[in-house]
Amino acid sequence: MKIFQVENRLVATARITQLENNRLLVVREKGGSRAVAVDPIGCKEGDWVIAVGSSAAKDAAGHSKYPSDLTIVGIIDYWDGDETTGAVT
Amino acid sequence: MNIMRVVRDLVTTHRVSGLGAKRLRVLEDAKGNIEVAVDAVGARAGDFVITIAYSSARIATGDPRITTDLTIGGIIDDWDETRWHGPARAET
Repeated sequence: MKIFQVENRLVATARITQLENNRLLVVREKGGSRAVAVDPIGCKEGDWVIAVGSSAAKDAAGHSKYPSDLTIVGIIDYWDGDETTGAVT
Repeated sequence: MNIMRVVRDLVTTHRVSGLGAKRLRVLEDAKGNIEVAVDAVGARAGDFVITIAYSSARIATGDPRITTDLTIGGIIDDWDETRWHGPARAET
């Protein structure tokens, strides 16, 4: 699992039906690389979250046929973005 | 999943049967890297799209037998160049 910070919601009206009506969020890793994740729990902007990839992402999003490669599985109660590297400038 | 932009259509008449008759698009990411994806929604050149990778890409096409590793899963309603590159873009 990886730690991400939620940047903002993503609206995509034209989408494949398999994605259903789940929320999609733009998340950013501490290093700066950005990704899009399925949000089955309801995160706010600025939340630090943990997300799973590979086949666990499908199950975490609801069922094994769900086409997700990154799904948020938890909101971290307390996380200081600077605490491990100390240099997010 | 990632945010990418459609560059243009891609026509390959001669292809493996595993790709079926799926439409292909050339995409670029924020750094300018080029990728090819199966288009399951009907995106046009210039559209910002969400791409689904790995084995989920096969489910996203609607037929898990399709041999792809990248599929367009949706067209983003509201996205632009400045947000795409973000404040972290610091090329020298």
